Amino acid sequence: MTAVIDKKKCNGCGLCALYCPLDVIYMEDGIGHVVYPDECWHCGACRQECAKGAVRFEFGAMMLAV
Amino acid sequence: MSAWLSGEVHRIKTDVAVIGGGTAGLNVAMAAREAGASVLIVDKAHIMRSGAIAGGIDHFMAYLDTGESWDTREAWLKYVGKVARGAADLRIHEKVFCDELPAALARVEKIGISLRQKDSGEIFRTQTLGQPGPYSINFDGKFLKPAMAKEVARRRCKVINRVQVTNLYLHDGELAGFAGWDMRTGDFYEVQAKAVVIATGNTNRMFKSQTGNPFNLWYCPANTGDLHRAAWDAGVELANVEYVRMTIVPKGFSAPGFNAFFGMGGKFVNGLGDAFMNTYHPMGDKAPRNVMVWGALQEVRAGRGPIYIDVRHLKPKDLEHLFFTLGIDKDTLPEFLHAKGYSREGTMIEMTISEPMQARPSEMCGAGIKIDETCASNIPGVFGAGDASDQMGCLHMCMAGGFAAGKHAARYALRQTRHRPLDAKVLTAERKRVFAPLTRRAGLHYGEFEGIVRIITTDHFGPIKTEISLTSGIAKLDQLDSHREELKASNLHELMRCHEAMNIHAMAKIVAHASLARPESRFSPYHHRADHPETKDEYCGLVVVGKGADGRPTTRFQPLHYAV
Repeated sequence: MTAVIDKKKCNGCGLCALYCPLDVIYMEDGIGHVVYPDECWHCGACRQECAKGAVRFEFGAMMLAV
Repeated sequence: MSAWLSGEVHRIKTDVAVIGGGTAGLNVAMAAREAGASVLIVDKAHIMRSGAIAGGIDHFMAYLDTGESWDTREAWLKYVGKVARGAADLRIHEKVFCDELPAALARVEKIGISLRQKDSGEIFRTQTLGQPGPYSINFDGKFLKPAMAKEVARRRCKVINRVQVTNLYLHDGELAGFAGWDMRTGDFYEVQAKAVVIATGNTNRMFKSQTGNPFNLWYCPANTGDLHRAAWDAGVELANVEYVRMTIVPKGFSAPGFNAFFGMGGKFVNGLGDAFMNTYHPMGDKAPRNVMVWGALQEVRAGRGPIYIDVRHLKPKDLEHLFFTLGIDKDTLPEFLHAKGYSREGTMIEMTISEPMQARPSEMCGAGIKIDETCASNIPGVFGAGDASDQMGCLHMCMAGGFAAGKHAARYALRQTRHRPLDAKVLTAERKRVFAPLTRRAGLHYGEFEGIVRIITTDHFGPIKTEISLTSGIAKLDQLDSHREELKASNLHELMRCHEAMNIHAMAKIVAHASLARPESRFSPYHHRADHPETKDEYCGLVVVGKGADGRPTTRFQPLHYAV
């Protein structure tokens, strides 16, 4: 389960990394990276802050198949 | 010396320090500034998006004096005394919630968040959780948290984000200050404060979760009892911490939604398609949360699972509102339900019982720092607010009660003529202790350590407990002590998680000790002693946990009295 950042859409503003309540997103080479995907809370704060629509969510089989 | 210890040391003095910049903390800050105190907010995340409502919130519980018999202060207090009996202190509730409610409602609107429906301009309320009438105001609180963060900036509160507070310090039995460190820079903070308000929520990640991922939780996984533990270590008493709270969540995703589903008229049904809650409570699907969880547990154990919420009978307009409000409370929930194949009109939605957590047994009280009518703890200068206190919880009380705590903390701070000193030697030792996991070449990963804690807690008191299960659970948790020194971090993020893991471990012991001191059952299954399944009048009150001379939890009992 995690937020996924589209590298092509990301403009490097850094708001996702600045605000993520779980400290899982960091900026690397000017792009937002979800470094700790297993620690994502799925709160959606990063997506709400992203002006470029670069964030989407993947739920994964552990959430969808159980 | 490790490179991590090359960070700067910052020394700050403030009148009031707020630890935890969630809903309660930001209301504390607003009030303390308004009272003329200098304010420092310290948050482990970033106050724009931290705490339980980081991604949004969809309801605010309140009485509104509309003329209905259930919509008064008296009816509300009667309700609190009924659903939170033995946990809520009504004298405190009146002061920290009722007296502050009108101003709290006005404050939400004043910072730019409307409590009214966009299309109709009306207040829309629903009834759940044993309420005598519809107390839950549905509103679009998607941006309530950022709006509050902007408001504290406007009021010139000082904020330090991404700082984890690790210990509180006293001087001559009164608050002197605290230490913390910055998880992005490695800098160390030494803060002297005349008053501190702890507003750091409850303890999550303490029990196994439904999918095995400890971050797939109902409440914010960043709330790990850091300041419950630190306050307790400094001599602050805790109360209501024996309760192990749970809710009903969608299978696969521990997201909020209970209030929206049942408030809009969703039906709780078992695997046979039968509605079952009337068997367990006269209010059926409108029963208090713990009773709903209890009912679900019994149905599953009786072989009538899985459990579902049936919304097929709802009118299209109500379904539309339901799915809209689900997305306000948890941004990603509607798309999760869609990804799972649930269509708005069609299928029943499979639900399950959430992970247990150390938290309040009712929406009408809290669990943690034991506070009085002025939100003060037993240690002069230390106050509690929001979910981190034993008498506040949920948005309505965090908004109202947070403000009360800020007023009282400021009043106290402004009466103090000087800051109390911090001991330089103690701070040097603390800095070394904090960064120690970074210096270990080999050791235990925080995930493994936390996982061990979760197995023990879940097996021994998550949620069903007995004297034997608790005593043997405490013995296992004590045996884990030696492994704390083996925790290893390879960067600052992991270091933060190491400290969280140790705090979860320490809080698990406190929860178990508090549970032993309540040989009855109350709010079952939140405190269900299988060896004492009945609720006893003599235990109508608080188990208060302190720290003994031997460093172990001590307990005492404080009765609570209710007129009705």
